[in-house]
Formats: sequence, structure tokens, C-alpha cells
Amino acid sequence: MKELSRRQMIKCSLAAIASIILIDLSMNDNSVKANGKYDYNSKEFKSIINQLDMQGHADHDYSTCSIKKVYYEEVIEALNQGKSEKEILQSYVDEYGQAALRTPATEGSGLIAWIAPAFGFLLGAIIVGYGIKRLTKKKDCTDDHLDAEEMNVSETEKEIIEQTFEEERKKYF
Amino acid sequence: MYLIGNIALILGIVISLYALIANIIGLKRKDERWLESARGGVLSLAFVASISAFLLFYILGTSQFQFQYVASYTNNELPIIYKLAAFWAGNAGSLLLWTFLLSIYTAIIVLNKKKQNKMIPYVSSILLTNILFFYIVMVLNANPFEMTDTIPLDGKGLNPMLQNPGMVLHPVTLYMGYVGLAVPFAYAIAALIMKRMDAEWIKLTRRWTLTAWLFLTLGNMIGGWWAYLELGWGGYWAWDPVENASFLPWLTVSAFLHSMMIQERKNMLKTWNLSLIILSYILTLFGTFLVRSGILTSVHSFGDSNLGSYFLIFMAFMMLFAIYVVATRYQLIKSDSKPIESYFSKESSFLLNNFILITATFAVFFGTMYPLISETITGTKVNVGAPYFNKVMAPIMLVLLLLMAICPLISWQKAVFDRFIRNTLIPLFAAIVFAIILVLMGIKGIYAIIGLTVTVFMFNVHLAEIWRGTRARQKATKEGFIKALFRLTRKNQRRYGGYIVHIGIAIIAVGVISSNAYSEEVMKTVGQGESFQVGHYELTFKELTEIEKNGNGIVTANMDVNYKGKRNGTIHPEKIFYGTWPEPSSEVAIKTNLTEDLYVVLSSWESKEKATFVIKINPFVSWIWAGGILMVIGTAIALIGGKTSAAFRIGSRQRGVRA
Repeated sequence: MKELSRRQMIKCSLAAIASIILIDLSMNDNSVKANGKYDYNSKEFKSIINQLDMQGHADHDYSTCSIKKVYYEEVIEALNQGKSEKEILQSYVDEYGQAALRTPATEGSGLIAWIAPAFGFLLGAIIVGYGIKRLTKKKDCTDDHLDAEEMNVSETEKEIIEQTFEEERKKYF
Repeated sequence: MYLIGNIALILGIVISLYALIANIIGLKRKDERWLESARGGVLSLAFVASISAFLLFYILGTSQFQFQYVASYTNNELPIIYKLAAFWAGNAGSLLLWTFLLSIYTAIIVLNKKKQNKMIPYVSSILLTNILFFYIVMVLNANPFEMTDTIPLDGKGLNPMLQNPGMVLHPVTLYMGYVGLAVPFAYAIAALIMKRMDAEWIKLTRRWTLTAWLFLTLGNMIGGWWAYLELGWGGYWAWDPVENASFLPWLTVSAFLHSMMIQERKNMLKTWNLSLIILSYILTLFGTFLVRSGILTSVHSFGDSNLGSYFLIFMAFMMLFAIYVVATRYQLIKSDSKPIESYFSKESSFLLNNFILITATFAVFFGTMYPLISETITGTKVNVGAPYFNKVMAPIMLVLLLLMAICPLISWQKAVFDRFIRNTLIPLFAAIVFAIILVLMGIKGIYAIIGLTVTVFMFNVHLAEIWRGTRARQKATKEGFIKALFRLTRKNQRRYGGYIVHIGIAIIAVGVISSNAYSEEVMKTVGQGESFQVGHYELTFKELTEIEKNGNGIVTANMDVNYKGKRNGTIHPEKIFYGTWPEPSSEVAIKTNLTEDLYVVLSSWESKEKATFVIKINPFVSWIWAGGILMVIGTAIALIGGKTSAAFRIGSRQRGVRA
């Protein structure tokens, strides 16, 4: 009996919390603004929003993330005020530094982030090229008859022959 | 319970330390009795770890809130499956899971009589060092059996995001992959210590490595599936640091699985293979360090502890130890390898494949660590998010796909260029025709078209290879097509299992390229009864309902769906408000068909008559999951298959004849 009343109390409080949140959410309506020239479906808006890190909330669910919603509203407002993509992005960079964006800058120290993988690729290519050259040996002519034979037999055919030999070998020995 | 749990943990430290010392003494004195005792220690360790794991399951399942861990991650309302899955919801449980798996793996190795050899004491010593580390960390820092000061009436509950079947499986599969990689690492180090430079350690651990890779693949796939269903942002891979941490060892093990074939056949690349397996193991520790330390911002991290420091120290220790062992045996490793006979050979193409996979590893690692590097060096915080990784990884993955298309057509030792061209022509022609059709259909996006064309080329090559093999077998054996195909696969499971994995990757690539290049997102505010069009879909908002279930408030939108003018059922996106969790979450409504997913999120509402929805059309996402299943099937076929390939047997016999 005691257990039941406690559960009921918990349920009532949960329902109360849920109702408060529901009322709060419905008051903070986030319906798509169509009053201005731009809305959340505009190409320009999407282009800007895709570049913003939104304080680490860029990959969050818009419907449950309050920070993401603030960014959406700010960007729409700025666009409808006539600001360009460059100006809007710059205003965030001025406020939060390079961390406002999802990618490093393509100038200054940010360039290192873009160049390093390409540099790694080139360095790796040189090392692998050198490695293959070092590991590859020109063949002796004496081995040629065997390899010529091998060269005329494809990998699959070689395998079939091998299997047939194997089965025959098992049969007779 | 408290006593049993804590005694089991302390016994874990004592037994693992004893078994380690017994192994060392046994090896030094060459005394079989000590080694036998160490073996007994390993078995009792598996028993003790099993008791701890069972106990944690029991206290979680029976909601014993006097335990801190149970009170922190479960509550009375939680379904039993998630109560049990809370085992790996926090640091302490995850460490116990890791320890349990490692103890079981070590016991399997020690018990396996078929594979008993002189390496085992060394292998078990290395694994015991790992187990000892985990036990020490648990006892000092993250004890799953710690008590609360006062017993709460109810627990805090499990994060609602984790209450999904994906999260029941994702951490376990990933841990099985991580832990599995400790085994080939231990064998590699054991081989080095014993100065056995042949490929025996590779042969002994092939199945362990493949199993670990299989679980890493499964873990990453299930993680992506969970993110897609549960997180509500419409994607499956965000290039988050923790996701990257599990992708890194997958890349290096993929490279190893290819390069180990060269060592098996030609006794080459010994240092390289050792380095790859050491790197893979270190990356598993690095991944755990990233998750536990919280040094990088991530949605997955457990940043509320100082476990990261323990992992950093252990990682540094194991890395230095491995480098020392490799360096002191370097001269031995270098000797006795056969040269590659031609630039145009499978050996060279595998080297290129390894190069691309390691470049990808470097790019992901560098991108992940760059925010930290930048902040340390310049003092400026910089983000490296998904757009960066997409730009950097796209060309690397394209080259990898191209190599996957070319490699199966190149023979071992020395390929014949004419035959290569002959075998390439039809798949390449079909891929070009496919590209032309795409362009004629008005599909835009040159990079996506190139990517899809290369993928189709790769897919065609593999189909053609399987076709050629089957036809050749039919010719030789006069079997029917299906029988010949089955027998062909049976006879060389390693190769054809690999081909199935590649086909799975091609299918995944179609999904990834299409969903990145051609997805469509719309946000709509609509009134009751109002319809709107997104892509081929027409959606009608019917009503908003509100119910209370299990202490949670659930708001559901009911919508009718028409696809290409035909009725296609209803969908019910939901928003859930939890009684025990501050943040609400979205329950996404997804309608899947072969070519696209309709992905609907209930965003907000003004009243019961007016609501806002985020709608995404994600093309070919279901192909990603289908490709993942195919990869798992292919890996399972290769795993069950023979230890050595047919060509390897030929090579061995030829060497025997020459000798």
C-alpha cells in the first residue's frame, strides 16, 4: 500500500513536470518564420548554418536543442536584415574566434589542418614508392620457364587445377 | 553483495599479479610447474571476473540502489533489458566488461590445447598485464560495487538516448573488437621476445584478428544505426572524436588483414605487420583514453572522471615497451624475406592499399587531435567538424575504392597486363554506361557521380571475378552454376569471403555517397488537415495527441503519407518528456523503401492544431545497413574458412620441390 502511494506520488510529479515543459515549449514557439525574405528552408540559410559549430551543438536534434534554436533565429534575423553570408559568419568569428566555425580557416595557422593530410599522403607515397622499388627485384632468366607457365594460367584457373590435383591426390594416396 | 563484489575485485588483482609472476619465474627457470600454476591462475581469474560480472548484472537487474552504480544509471521504471544494459553505461561497468572479456579471451588461449606452444606463457603474461591494469583502475578509481551514503528510493535512471536496442549491442560489440585486438598484439610481442620471426604468430592469430575486426565493423555499424534512429539530426556518422576513435583501429586492422597475406606468402613486411598490430592495439587504448578523459568535446564522452590519466600512462607504457622490443629485434626481423617480383603484382597493390588505409588513419587522427594541437601551440581553439572530414576523406576513400576495384584483377608475383586489361574492360564499360545514364537522367554533382561510378566499377569487378571463377569450375567439374558457386566459395572461403566484404563496402559506399550528396531537408509549419510536398512524398498533418506512459509525457503527431500519389500508410513522430531526465527527446518517424528514407521529426507546436516538422529525404540509407550485414556475412565466411589459401599451398609445395 505504502509502495503504491509512493509510486502514485512519483507519477503525479512526473506528469506535472511534463506538463510544465509542454506549456513552456508551446509558449516558445519555433514555427518556421516566413515573414521575412529568408526562412529555414532557404539555400542561403542552410549554407550559413552548415558552417557554424553552434558551440558544439551543430549535430544536435534541432527540435530538442535550445542553443541550436537560438542560432537558427539569429541567422534568419541577420539574413532578413540584409547581411551577407560572409558578414554573418564573420560576426560569429569576431565573437567566438575561429571556434565559431566547424572547419579550420583556410589561411594562417588553420591552413596546417588542411595541408597536413596532403603532406602525409605525399610523404607516404614517397616512402611506399621507395619501399616497393627496394623490395622489387628483377627476375633471373633461369626462373623464366616456370613463371611463363604461371603467367599463362590465371589465378582462378590455377586454383581450379590445384583443387582438382588435391582431390585426385586424396583419392589415390 | 558489497563484500563479494569487492573481494572479487581484490582477488582479481592478487590472482593476475600471481599468474604474471608465476609465468615470469616459470619462463626464467624453465619450470613447467610454475607455468602450470600460472595457467591455473588464468582460469581462476576468468572465474573471478565472471563472478564480478554476474554480480553487477544481478544488482542492476534487482535494482539495488544501495550501490552507487545502480542508483546512477537505473531506476524502477526502466525495462529489465536496459537495467542490464546499464552494465556498460558508466565508467566502472565498462571497465568491468573489458576486464571480463579479456579474462575470458585469456582463458580460451590458455585452454586451447590444439594451439599450445611455447609462446603461450608470454602471450598470457602480456594479457595478464592488461587485466592487472584494469583491475587496479577499478579498485582505485571506478569501483562498480561502491555503496551510496544513503539508500535512495529510486535511481537517477538511464539516459533516454541510451534506451535503444542499438545501445544494448553497440558498446558490447565495440569492446569485443577492442579487447580482441589485445590477442594478436600479445602474440606479436611474444614472437618478438622469443625471436621467432616467421609468420606463425600471424597464422595463430588470424581468426582472433578477423573476429576483432568483425566486432569493430559491427560496433561501428550498430553505432551509426543507433545515431540515425535515436539522435534525430538525420545522420549516422558525425565524425565525432569518439566515433573517430573506434574508426581508427578499424582502418589499421583493415590494412593489417591485407598485408598479413604478404607475410604469409612471401615472409615480407614483418616489421610493417608488427607495427600495424601494435598501432591497432595502441589505438584501442587511445580510443578509451579519448572517451574517458573528456579532453575533446564529444557527445559520447564520460568526462567526469580522471580515468584518462590512467589510460594515458598505460598507453605510454605499452607503446614504449612495444617499441623497445621491436627495436632490440630489428636486425632479426629484417632478414630472410623474399623480394617482390614485379611492380605490377598483387603484392605491390596490397602495399598501395595499406598506404591509402594508413593515410586515412593519419587524416582522421590528425583531424581529431587538431583542436588540441592548435590550442596547445597557438592558444586558439579551432573546431574540426564533419565538413572538414568529408572534404579530406572523400578523395582518400575514392582512391581506396579504385584500388579495391583493381586489386582482385592483379595476380600474385607478376600480373599479365594484357589479361588485366581484358578483365577490366567489361566492368569498366558497364560503370561508364552507368555514369552516362546518371547524367542523362539529370543527376547533378560531378563528385558524387565520379564516386558512384568508381563504386559500380568496383562492384562489377567483384561480380565478374565470382562469375569467372564459377564458370571455370563448371568447365572443370561439369557442375551446375549454383553448386559450382557454392563449392568455389567453400574451397576458398578466405578469398570469396573477402570479395563479399568488398561488395558490402560497395553497397555502403552507394548509401554514403547518395545520402551525403542528394539528401533534402525541409522545415514546415502546418495546420491540422494541411498537406505539403517533400520530394515524392505528400504528408498530411492529421492531429497531435498527448499521453502519459511509464511516467513520461509523450506528444505524438499523426500524419498520413502518400508516395508518388499513392497512399503509403501513416507515421507518428513523437516528442518524449521524461520524468527523470531534464532533456526531452525526439522519436523519429522513418519510412524506408529501397531507394530512400522519409525521416520526420516533430519539432514544435503552437497548439494542438498547428505544428512544425523537420522532414528529411535521405537517399539509399537502407543500403548502408544492408552493406553492413553483407560485410558481416563475408567476414564470417572468411573466418570459418581455411587457414591458408590455395596459392599459399602451391607456393609451399613449389618451395619444397625446389629445395
